[in-house]
Amino acid sequence: MSAQQERIVANAVVPLDFTYNYRVGQYVERYIKGLGQKKIMGVKCPGDSSVVVPPRKYCGRCNAIMDEWVEVGPEGTVENFTVGHVNLNKGAVEKADTEYVVALIKLDGASSLLPGKVQGVSPTDVEVGMRVKAVFKDPAEDSLEDLSHFEPAG
Amino acid sequence: MQRDIAIVAQAQIMSDAIGIPRERMLFDLVKGLFDSVGITRHDIETFVLNSNDFEVGHTIANVFEDTPVGAYMKDETHVEADGLWAAQYATMRLLSGNYDTALVVGDSSGASTFRPYLVMDYQLNPTHDRQLGILNELSTAALQAKAYMAKYGVDEDQLNKTAARLLRNAALNPNAVRSKADATGGDVLASDYLYEPLRELACYPFTDGACAMILASGKRARELTDKPVWIKGMGNSVDTYYIGERDLAVSGSAKAAGVRAYKLAGITDPAKQIDVAEVSAKFAHQEPIISEALGLFEEGSGGKVADEGLADLGGSMPVCPSGGGLGGYVFTANGLVRIAECVRQLQGGAGKAQVSGARTALAHGQDGFCAQHNAVMVLSTEEG
Amino acid sequence: MRNVGIIGVGYTPVFVSKRKDVNIAEMVSEAVDAAYRNTKLTPDDIEAITFGNMQTFEGVNMPHLWAVDHMRALNKPYMRIATGGTTGMSTLHSAYYHVASGLHDVVMAITWEKQSEGDSQVGLSGIVMPEAMVMVQHGMDLFGGKGMGAMGGGSTGAAAYQATSYLHHSGASPEHIDKMAALERSNAALNPYAHLRKKTSVADIQATPFISWPLRFGHTCPTSDGATVVILASEDKVEKLADSVAWINGVGCACSDPATGNFIEGQITDPAEQEPAKLASAKAYAMAGIKDPAKEIDMAEMYNGFAHQSLMWLEKLRLCKEGEAHKMLDAGALNIDGELPTNASGGVFSTNAIGASAMNRPAECALQIMRKIEGGHQIPKKIKNAVSHGWGGMFQYVTVTVLGDEPRHG
Repeated sequence: MSAQQERIVANAVVPLDFTYNYRVGQYVERYIKGLGQKKIMGVKCPGDSSVVVPPRKYCGRCNAIMDEWVEVGPEGTVENFTVGHVNLNKGAVEKADTEYVVALIKLDGASSLLPGKVQGVSPTDVEVGMRVKAVFKDPAEDSLEDLSHFEPAG
Repeated sequence: MQRDIAIVAQAQIMSDAIGIPRERMLFDLVKGLFDSVGITRHDIETFVLNSNDFEVGHTIANVFEDTPVGAYMKDETHVEADGLWAAQYATMRLLSGNYDTALVVGDSSGASTFRPYLVMDYQLNPTHDRQLGILNELSTAALQAKAYMAKYGVDEDQLNKTAARLLRNAALNPNAVRSKADATGGDVLASDYLYEPLRELACYPFTDGACAMILASGKRARELTDKPVWIKGMGNSVDTYYIGERDLAVSGSAKAAGVRAYKLAGITDPAKQIDVAEVSAKFAHQEPIISEALGLFEEGSGGKVADEGLADLGGSMPVCPSGGGLGGYVFTANGLVRIAECVRQLQGGAGKAQVSGARTALAHGQDGFCAQHNAVMVLSTEEG
Repeated sequence: MRNVGIIGVGYTPVFVSKRKDVNIAEMVSEAVDAAYRNTKLTPDDIEAITFGNMQTFEGVNMPHLWAVDHMRALNKPYMRIATGGTTGMSTLHSAYYHVASGLHDVVMAITWEKQSEGDSQVGLSGIVMPEAMVMVQHGMDLFGGKGMGAMGGGSTGAAAYQATSYLHHSGASPEHIDKMAALERSNAALNPYAHLRKKTSVADIQATPFISWPLRFGHTCPTSDGATVVILASEDKVEKLADSVAWINGVGCACSDPATGNFIEGQITDPAEQEPAKLASAKAYAMAGIKDPAKEIDMAEMYNGFAHQSLMWLEKLRLCKEGEAHKMLDAGALNIDGELPTNASGGVFSTNAIGASAMNRPAECALQIMRKIEGGHQIPKKIKNAVSHGWGGMFQYVTVTVLGDEPRHG
């Protein structure tokens, strides 16, 4: 049979459902605990004094371990954002019911930008430079979702 | 570099629905390549394969790829990164003097088997980013586009023009899976927004395909072809993973990769000395970011380049005459396709897309969100 | 050809079933830290980094990209290698070629696995082709005697066929497998970086139930969380940077066809034949100038997911004649103080962080040559030449590295 004749006549669709169970490590664990207390915690690099959120062990620029904890936010500034018109559902593109904002936010006191949703404002009214504040889940659920989203501040 | 290494021949296939199993695709491609050069698999001293576990949908991606490419009872290894790295590794194996010939072959069936966006989801940091639900290949690329536009005053129309140019070029490429001979920025504008400013036609299409090439050292290369394409220099470098700590408007790692490759190749003025460039851009805006990092255009000039046609086939610095990633993006093997397109140019085989008099070419590959990891190879018709 | 040596090794402090205290990037960074401590080098000394693991085990695609900061890889040339069970040695070979190519002088190879975070189904059965997964969906048992889904350290089904064939061809008995298992577990008891460290007798092994004859639970390797890092240097840098070195004198690799048991179209290869081992080792020995491995090789570290494999590899790597390995075992020649100490570390059989397992083999040989073994498994006799071996895929990949106390070229 030539390659042409061997065209697939049947597809096998095989959904693979596996559960992975990740250790987040002590840095993210402490970060999550902070969110439960409505605090956003970052770490400071001893090399260049940058404050990184979410926290992690190594600063790659300085080859240094970061172990000085600093509370940042809860307010910050939108440094960059995009408006999503679709959702990705396991890689499949689906039109979103409503447009939504994904932003990179510079929390007060932080050097790095934190990705977050901006809600409570029309996407057309979101601007770079606008002030936002973190909204926390209450009661806390001991997960990263305890930092639920950001809203316009003030 | 301590030995002269050349690419002897290349073969590629791209499709939006290949319709045959991966193993068959690889066998046909590689066997055809061997036949075209007049060799068999026994003439290849080392096989460097290139594919991705998540994309093929099982552990150890190369397990079923070895036999179809002729690696049975042969020296074989596997790079799980973009194909540009596989080509670099094969070159290193030849440079060592341990081998005189190599086959590099990469493949993906991103249109038929596994959704590329899902393959990228698995690249998200599992301890934080995956849980957020807002970061994915598209949203991060959109933020990158926004950063570039904001920093340099480039607007959506100019990015859409960039995409349109690539779609027009793709129409001249017999291998492309998506193209439009008379595409304009307006056509791109008319396609749906995904994440602003990314329009569907400014994003890479899901592509099945494979690319294979034969590398050989000096004398052996000249025995196998009268048009060897010499590898003059190569390099790669990596940025931090965290997009919140990167200036997304520029590519530090692409710049460093270029510097490393240019140093080996003796390139001091890339804009003048490179005749044609094939950069890996998954989204239209990535092309100016990477091209500028590679010194092919002034920093932030993407708007001007689009408006004045500087990257056009007939422009001062032709970029992606093949149509680049927007004409077809074979996940993982894309870097090999970019090299293959440079080989077509330098061997004078690029047909209607031929850059006349091309003697020195640049091929680029990337990995990661917003092109976190970048690799460059400089190729030339001149040896030594 | 340029001479390249191993100048340092770093391990995670332990190799255990579950590292609950650290995430993936943090765990691997511990081995990176150890490599820097052991060599007194800093990240500025490292010119390029190669990185490998079997990524579907953890469900993280391209983890080297996430972990850049933790690997101290920022702005460096960086390459990911993955070849199943042989990943560790393939990653080391990539680092070797980074140096042998003349492009770099000091290169780090990082390998690891954190299988405790994965769904074991992915690792064990995820290797098979989609057709097989369709059958799984319909309830077919992959782990039964049909010989499915094997890879380095994987399903016992296919390995049982290999063991049966090996016993038949070699004249060894199942008791020899028990004996080899007990020997390696006892070696591991001396190795602080091994996973299964309980001193074990033949009776202990024989008390474990059969999984699939002739293989018992006591014959199989664990899955471990851990990482191994090796630093390589070119000859001229070795003198400047290191106080001791183990030279990589020969490298080789080969693959055959995937062994799928009697499952899909039938198998054409006897899994005990292991022709790639002969091809890969022939190339490595030739490169190293070793003409009679049985005489010239002083120690061996083999990739043995199952205890019978140590005996099989000795023969395939020409360290003894076919059918002689079990006799050497009986004579005590394979003991740490014997003529051919085999898996003094305890082998993969005692420690298996899969992505690292094939690099642990040359790492252990290097430490033995440099006499830098921590713990009690330092081989007493002088090691001039050592052979390390990796194996994986669906029984099809073999990598070999021959190390020596002197460089190949004078």
